[in-house]
Amino acid sequence: MSEVAFERVSKRFGGFEALAPLDLSVGAGEFVSLLGPSGSGKTTLLNICAGYLAPTSGRMRVAGRDVTALPPRRRNIGMVFQNYALFPHMNVFENVAYGLRVRKVAPAQIEARVGEALRSVRLDDFAHRAPRQLSGGQQQRVALARAMVIEPEILLMDEPLGALDKQLRKEVQLEIRRMHVARPRTTLYVTHDQEEALVMSDRIAVMRAGRIVQIGAARDLYARPADVFVARFLGESNLVAGAVIACEGETAALAAPGLPQPIEGRAAPGLKAGDKAAALIRPEHLRLRAGGLPARIVERVFLGEITALRLELSHGVELWLRLFGTDAPSRDDIEIGWDRQDVSILPEQEP
Amino acid sequence: MGGRIAARLAGALAGAAIVLPILVVVPVAFSEQSFVTLPPEAWSLRWWRAFFADPSWLSALVTSVQVAILSAALAVSAGTAAALGLPRLPAWGRALMNALALGPIVAPVIVLAVGVYALARSAGLVGSVWSLALAHAMLAVPYVILNVGVSIAALDPRLAQAAEGLGAGPWRVFRTVTLPSILPGVLGGGVFAFVTSFDEVVLAIFLAGPRVKTLPVRIWEEIRVEYTPVVAVAATIMIALPLLGAVVGRIGARRAA
Repeated sequence: MSEVAFERVSKRFGGFEALAPLDLSVGAGEFVSLLGPSGSGKTTLLNICAGYLAPTSGRMRVAGRDVTALPPRRRNIGMVFQNYALFPHMNVFENVAYGLRVRKVAPAQIEARVGEALRSVRLDDFAHRAPRQLSGGQQQRVALARAMVIEPEILLMDEPLGALDKQLRKEVQLEIRRMHVARPRTTLYVTHDQEEALVMSDRIAVMRAGRIVQIGAARDLYARPADVFVARFLGESNLVAGAVIACEGETAALAAPGLPQPIEGRAAPGLKAGDKAAALIRPEHLRLRAGGLPARIVERVFLGEITALRLELSHGVELWLRLFGTDAPSRDDIEIGWDRQDVSILPEQEP
Repeated sequence: MGGRIAARLAGALAGAAIVLPILVVVPVAFSEQSFVTLPPEAWSLRWWRAFFADPSWLSALVTSVQVAILSAALAVSAGTAAALGLPRLPAWGRALMNALALGPIVAPVIVLAVGVYALARSAGLVGSVWSLALAHAMLAVPYVILNVGVSIAALDPRLAQAAEGLGAGPWRVFRTVTLPSILPGVLGGGVFAFVTSFDEVVLAIFLAGPRVKTLPVRIWEEIRVEYTPVVAVAATIMIALPLLGAVVGRIGARRAA
């Protein structure tokens, strides 16, 4: 288990810049998710970390040691792929034992360590099955055991839950989280699913167009997104577009066409008066408030314990409001408000 | 209704036209007469005894099997290596190599034979098992490349990456992951190479020497002198052996898959 550092790492494919030079440090035992849409460079970064791809520039260090030029087999990595990539002609035991056999571990020890690894993913009864006899979730747990049994310095996962259905995804998610808490390993986890990132990560790096837009703990990213892109990517968001009319220290005011008063909120760093921006108000921060802004409920969506209401304000401004089902008003004309400290004024993403 | 019967009849006729010339030698091989008649008037194994009593027939059979096994081994090694390497080439290189590899299929065999004969003469290899095996391997390599290529196209590249990530070197990745996955294609290519060599006659006539003759060459020589049922015995063996090989290969491929 070691810390990993990328220093000005970039990757070009012909004329296409897949990764702009970026820096990223992952602490020993830290679980970092690379979250972004497809084409954002997250898988490229993972492949560079594994050694499957050579960076165009920059270097990569593991525990301070420069590994940029090392092939994958000398990096001591544990890799988990989206399609599992289990060896089809070997049974579960042999799949998990593969890395140990390569390392010439004594047979008795292989027996013990593979057994322990299979126990940790609750598949000890499946050692002699062929991979194709297992369900997708079980196959992915075999892949996890195969990656972890070699005690890798870094665990790399490339959308490992992407091929599973929703129920299984939740199960394996919690399984990975549980194993990480029991035994922290330096982990890079690629996903485009915000929920996965939120559940498992110590920190999340949100990527777009080959760059890390923002990195931080899930809570910070959710509460203080750097821009509109991050706000959209994590959680549900109401974004009211407009222009910054005043910006003083930590506070800014945004004029939105159609709203009688400017929206005040916490200013994102670097924001200045005159910028195009958007006010972020999370649906759970909107409240019914007598004497507030008049709004009309145009849609009610039942989500179990929660009811989501689509509101229309004056001049076509639309907001979503989430309430416990029992709190939802029966009338359609309501008045709403919010607290200033729950609002962020964010710059529009760069084009 | 009538159309259906006509279609079946036409199909049966076409099938007979394909199979009959091949199967007609089998009864002849069990004939009692000293000349070829159809159908034979009496049955015996005398021509089988004659075949196995004649050292020139036996050695031709042994040479054929040797050459076929050698050339299959050569073609499978070279063809598998080529099929593995081709996807790593840039697009233009791949197109060029594919065209080159298909050359032996497209070129007239007699042209190949003249060229190979010239090369074998200058290397002093005429009349050696090796020249025959090499020449036949050249004919079979394209089929091996195609056969193995299909298996490789169906191979998940992540498997090799996974093995590499677990610490395996290139040779170990090939031996433990890639080869087992493409084995059906490799075995199929091998059977094809064996059959290609076993029934090849043009190159074999050019490259044969007084003591190194393949079975088809020996049949060709015999039939020009006299037409006895011993030729049919040789022909029957030529049908049976590759068939046996194909069945064994199919079973092996199924085991591997």
